[in-house]
Amino acid sequence: MKNNPFAYVLSGLFVLLAHLAMLANIMYNGNYAQLSDVWTLAGTVLGLDLAWFIIMPFFRQHSHTVDFILILILNMSLIFQSCFGEVHLALKHMITCIAALAASRIGFFLCRDHNWIAKQKKFVWIGIGVVMIIILLFTGSRSMWINFGSFTIQPSELLKPLLVMACATSVAEQQKKHKLLWFNVVWENLILLGITAAICLLQWWCRDLGSIPTFAAIYAAGFLMRICYPKAKFSKKTLIGAGIAVLAIAGIGIKLAPAYVRDRLFVDIWSDKTGNGYQQSQALIAIADGGWFGKGPGKGFLHNVFAYESDIVFSTISEEWGLLFALMVIFIILLMLAIPLINPARSYYHGTLAAGVCAAFTVQMALNIFGSCNMIPFTGVTIPFISMGGTSMVTSGLMAGMLIASQSPEFGKLPTKKAPAKKKKPASRPAVRKGAQA
Amino acid sequence: MENANLILCAVTAAALDICALVLIFAAYREKSTAKKRWAKISSNMELVEPGVTYPLGCDEVLIGRHASADIRIPDLSVSRYHAMMTVSDGVWTIKDMGSKSGVYVNGALVKEARLRENDIINLGNRRLIFRRRREKNEK
Repeated sequence: MKNNPFAYVLSGLFVLLAHLAMLANIMYNGNYAQLSDVWTLAGTVLGLDLAWFIIMPFFRQHSHTVDFILILILNMSLIFQSCFGEVHLALKHMITCIAALAASRIGFFLCRDHNWIAKQKKFVWIGIGVVMIIILLFTGSRSMWINFGSFTIQPSELLKPLLVMACATSVAEQQKKHKLLWFNVVWENLILLGITAAICLLQWWCRDLGSIPTFAAIYAAGFLMRICYPKAKFSKKTLIGAGIAVLAIAGIGIKLAPAYVRDRLFVDIWSDKTGNGYQQSQALIAIADGGWFGKGPGKGFLHNVFAYESDIVFSTISEEWGLLFALMVIFIILLMLAIPLINPARSYYHGTLAAGVCAAFTVQMALNIFGSCNMIPFTGVTIPFISMGGTSMVTSGLMAGMLIASQSPEFGKLPTKKAPAKKKKPASRPAVRKGAQA
Repeated sequence: MENANLILCAVTAAALDICALVLIFAAYREKSTAKKRWAKISSNMELVEPGVTYPLGCDEVLIGRHASADIRIPDLSVSRYHAMMTVSDGVWTIKDMGSKSGVYVNGALVKEARLRENDIINLGNRRLIFRRRREKNEK
């Protein structure tokens, strides 16, 4: 903030204005029983904006753009979720939004210093192991949830930030090659590949096939960054081999997929509108109904369909707020992911961190939106920050914190004074040149 | 009334558009600050050869003949992965990556060495000077 007070204040002001415009739209165009509902929502949204605006300067950061985009998206999400059906404050979603903001701070503190996290690397591996054991023991083979009364968590979501961190911390190991039979291998690359495969198998076992592409994308981003790492010596043959392996695994996966998944791959939603194609057909009808500018907040029909607030949230937003606004939401999330392109990371660790987060978010969004629009099979994956879901929101917040860390990295103590210049006597210079020639 | 609703929706979308533009503007403002900060972290150093200046824009800089090197020196006397420069606490260090011709700092063969301003680094037949960054109009 102290480096760029003008940009900070301007960003805060325009985020506030964007939310005010949305709230004005609800007030004049929304479906609400009492005006007090709108005021409650407005007070919460603007209060969160102001609180974030005041709290952020207390954190030692050099860039705040991602923070502002985060609060912009989260409050937009709170407004959307509060308007579905009828305007009311979505209290549960508000709590998860605050949890996501807190998680973003945790993600930032954990990931900003690559020297520190490199020393704590074993805890990342242990964390992955513990979560996988929890999934094995507590979720069961046909479920991905652990129930605590009315409160449920999805432990597989926690694996996403952990896998991103594992990829980022292992990137610096590329020079430690060991001979294994006829190949020079890096142990951590093999372990990472094994862990990704184990996670994918676990997701298969839990019947959460929709999240497999997200884990594969995180691994692929880490793999590409390892290729770019100095002296990684990845050859074209390795790349071609990896591509063929991916295609073969995908082919085998489709062949061995459960019957309901294969049905979804080839379902004609319009001839099966009440069966497998119900959600998608309703979602497409809702998008068409909403048009460019929507029916108005709270005036949609799609809130009567199952998973309107999570799996087909893009269509619900399109119906009530219009396709233009729904596309703007996606654009804002993509803008958050594009910030590392404007201000590139200064280390391979932070670069891998940003690439992993971008890959995970992009794949999740693509699966949700293209699934809703019947361009790919319906997967039930959430849109980060927009869809309702506690664990998903917290992990998305954690991963946003990683993006913030890549924008405000720590590189040890800053030099307080100029590096001491080595004073050389004029006579010593020829000696250096002489040495160099030798 | 219908027109008023449409206008309100369009205004809301426009407000979001403008907000996005402002955030992009803020990101570019912060980019210049980040550059200054990096200059401080890296002690504002650069590598120079006669006629060529290599900025040190990352905390790990690979020097070599290979196309993937951060500082690419197309000279057969330089190994494909010759040396790696790293920065920590504002101090730059150079490390030999197992090159054939070795790394010489001020004429002394080194495996790893802490660099100081105006040090002369020899990689094969090439001679690089590690110096403080200068503006374009400075000589």
